[in-house]
Amino acid sequence: MKSGSQHELSADSEWEQWLGRHAPALLLFARQQARCEADAQDLVQEAVVESWRRQSQGAPPPLGCVYATIRHRAIDLARREERRADREVAAQRDGPQCWFDCGVDERERNLLIQKAMSHLPDIYRDVLTLKVWGGLTFGEIAQALEIPANTAASRYRYGLMELRKLTKEVFA
Amino acid sequence: MSDHEQERYEAELRRLQPARVPEHFMARLQAARPVAEPARRTLLQPTAGTPVWRVVLRWLAPALAVAVAGLLVGRTRFNPPSSVERKPLAAAYELKADDVQVDQELVSSFEVVAKLPGGQPVRFRCQKWRDQMVVTDKNHGVEIEQNSPRVEVVPVRFETY
Repeated sequence: MKSGSQHELSADSEWEQWLGRHAPALLLFARQQARCEADAQDLVQEAVVESWRRQSQGAPPPLGCVYATIRHRAIDLARREERRADREVAAQRDGPQCWFDCGVDERERNLLIQKAMSHLPDIYRDVLTLKVWGGLTFGEIAQALEIPANTAASRYRYGLMELRKLTKEVFA
Repeated sequence: MSDHEQERYEAELRRLQPARVPEHFMARLQAARPVAEPARRTLLQPTAGTPVWRVVLRWLAPALAVAVAGLLVGRTRFNPPSSVERKPLAAAYELKADDVQVDQELVSSFEVVAKLPGGQPVRFRCQKWRDQMVVTDKNHGVEIEQNSPRVEVVPVRFETY
């Protein structure tokens, strides 16, 4: 039988492993939803903590739920008028955040893809991000974005086509 | 775009990795691990220096209040003054909830700034909630409402500007 401290240790390690595996993609999604880095980080933290807390047995939450919570919190945040001015200032101060890992060679290429992504309509970008970098199934994406799975699949296909047009030079 | 082209393009995109999470943010996330909530159970364990009767009393008082309120509501609704025939008490108050409503109300939200042992400031987002549970037994006309306060404290990034 596990003692209390051993149980705590394994829970700690499970938590850290889960964060190590999913935090980068969660932050990528949050950066696309928020206007500044500070807001994106707050969104991820709130969503992760809230989703874990909802789990009764302390098991990791379904990823679709965490992404859905990020999206809901981002909508709440955007509605708060009083924070708008702060966000604008913070966004200017932060400068553009790198969405993807940038080695010296790939920096320019990755920034071009990031720019192309930011020009995509939100409905396409959300699905693409969750599918390609979040590793979610269309069923999970449907749950996260509250849309039918078929809609998620068609948005994904249209989104890929749009992105491909915008990144023709990069992948030529 | 053919399926083959699509697959190739997807593979190209997958080669891009989401940017690494900044170290300070990862540290903050790791520190924010929600603690499992066996709190309600542990409350019954008397802490050092707390007599057992006080712990029991703490739970007995609200439980009695709820029970008495339930009995009073039941009596006033289902015992007409002229009623001659009375059911045995146990049968009359055998509650069977046919509606249970659970609600959470945000009472207040505020932020507190504290300093870590290293002198680094840290911000805490504190939220006071009121958890409400209403159990209704329409057959017996009984409605039991229970309110309990809850405080949530979440450490968040301290924005240094």
